[in-house]
Amino acid sequence: MDRTLIVGMGNPYLRDDAVGVRLAAFLRQELGEAPGLRYVEECSAGGLEVLDLVAGHDRLVLLDSIRAGGPAGSWYRFDGRALRETMNLRNVHDTNLATALELGRRVGLRIPAEREVHVFAVEVEDNLTFDERMTEALEGRFPEYASEICGEVASLLGAKSRREKS
Amino acid sequence: MSRRISIDPITRLEGHGKIEIFLDDQGAVEDCYFQIPELRGFERFVVGRPIEELPRIVTRICGVCPASHHLAGAKAVDGCFGDEVPPLAHKLREMYYNAHYIHSHIAHFYALAAPDFILGPDADPAVRNILGVVAKVGLEIGGKVIKARAQAQEIQQIIGGRTTHLVWCLPGGVSKGLKPEELEKIKPMVGELYDFTQFSLKLFREAVLGNPGYVELILNGPYTLQVQNMGLVDENDAPNFYHGKVRVVDCEGKEICKYAPREYADHVAEHVEPWTYLKFPYLKKRGWNGFVEGVDSSLYTATPLARLNVADRMATPRAQEAFEEMFKTLGKKPCQALLACHWARLVEMVQNAETLQRYCADPEITGDAYRVVPKQITGEGVGIVEAMRGTLTHHYTCDPKGICTSANLIVGTTNNNAPIHMVTRKAAASLIKPGVEPTQGILNMIEMAFRAFDPCYSCATHSLPGQMPLEVRIHKNGALYREFRRRC
Repeated sequence: MDRTLIVGMGNPYLRDDAVGVRLAAFLRQELGEAPGLRYVEECSAGGLEVLDLVAGHDRLVLLDSIRAGGPAGSWYRFDGRALRETMNLRNVHDTNLATALELGRRVGLRIPAEREVHVFAVEVEDNLTFDERMTEALEGRFPEYASEICGEVASLLGAKSRREKS
Repeated sequence: MSRRISIDPITRLEGHGKIEIFLDDQGAVEDCYFQIPELRGFERFVVGRPIEELPRIVTRICGVCPASHHLAGAKAVDGCFGDEVPPLAHKLREMYYNAHYIHSHIAHFYALAAPDFILGPDADPAVRNILGVVAKVGLEIGGKVIKARAQAQEIQQIIGGRTTHLVWCLPGGVSKGLKPEELEKIKPMVGELYDFTQFSLKLFREAVLGNPGYVELILNGPYTLQVQNMGLVDENDAPNFYHGKVRVVDCEGKEICKYAPREYADHVAEHVEPWTYLKFPYLKKRGWNGFVEGVDSSLYTATPLARLNVADRMATPRAQEAFEEMFKTLGKKPCQALLACHWARLVEMVQNAETLQRYCADPEITGDAYRVVPKQITGEGVGIVEAMRGTLTHHYTCDPKGICTSANLIVGTTNNNAPIHMVTRKAAASLIKPGVEPTQGILNMIEMAFRAFDPCYSCATHSLPGQMPLEVRIHKNGALYREFRRRC
């Protein structure tokens, strides 16, 4: 059986950085549990720690925030191949995600292929202020982009959302 | 007219370090600043929160060493409630923390330090990473690294219930104990981790000590700094990462002071410079003497190497052997060759593994006396642990209702702020020569100066794509003369 991991990346106390965590909770509610499907609603780790989490799965769905210059609440979808150009980067404490996953593949762990790493990133307005609430711009558009992303993930999984089921 | 080179490694949105190098007319380094242009604010916004919440809040300071903040915070909160903590709670916390240390040290050594030594400081940036290391030393070793990290992580999960952002410590102890069946699950992993520490030392001997060029770089490169050393020690003056007294030993080996956590403000003060948000701690009784080296300097390092420099011995037998071998090879103790921090991490890992073995054999470790509910609020506590990056101090006060009224944090990297600044300047001055454009290799060797400290400037919790661009700007005659970016 194929195993899928859905991860909400972010810090729930860092205003819009929480959007990935919020989305993961939304997806769990909408798509529900299924055999081979695992949710990690809050992941505040990177690099090798994500590798520990991802090992043993065939498909990875990452829900995250991004600052790419677009309007708050717009979102982007890309796969693991888009991370390849940054594979040789590293931060001061760890490897980056692409490097960590590639390391896992090379040593023979069960790691999703690049085309099975699906990243959904929502453009945010403020991810530098400590606050448990997202900005109004992101909160206001949440139902819209969360539903859109949920639809994409449901297609990936071949699943129906709670709304579709009813 | 001088010119300026900026090395601007943007590690994460929340954490950002920058190096500014100023060159004189001849192109020699005139000055160098290691700047942290960000402001945090945790000390301010925890005021007004129930004091028992703080250990759970401060884990968010850092996604890399959250357990260090959690434990230092827990100890400070214990103090606010009268310091009634059962011995078993301390044992469990220490057990957890030793697994956390191994987990962190593996990442630093294999992912960050090893590329510089196993592939070489001037290796192509495209391969100077953990994938390059694994390609060179073999996939089998890569598998061992991943497995050891995962085991250290699982031990933390079993003991504390969570890994990254703990909610385990409570005033007066911990929220859960260790069941006998959990202990049985941990035991074989601890055995394997011990073997992994021995394997890592062997790899270091072969890959680093077996290369005379690297030994020369460690001992005589531009990475030595004659300042004092700080670290937490037990009653036998052996390193302890969870509790004990802070010992400060000068660069010639003489003890300057040894203080209990509650006395920290008598011994450490913080200097402020207008060009960075990060403060510069110094030995208070010596006063701020500026960025100067020497046995009389009031500056100190708090690093893995500093912890071994202040220790008379290690707390466990195999770690003692590794300790003796290290200082014998280095030729002196204390040793101020900062690149030896990487070796010191491996020695510490041996003690971490042996400490875990000791607790696995402790018949009391699965007991149920892991918490006492506090009966009083005494209003003030100081918790000190050794974060992997240096001595970590949390000092809290609260009112009679247990509401936080103040918090002061001196984190590991803050202790090392002045030395990082100084050694970066030293490395830049040594490596950047007049008339010679800095190469990628030279820039990496400057980075190696501060990488030895494993500095932590970030509360970042995730990184996608996790980039560390390096921006170099050269200013000449008051104008931008050349600019290039490295995506390392």
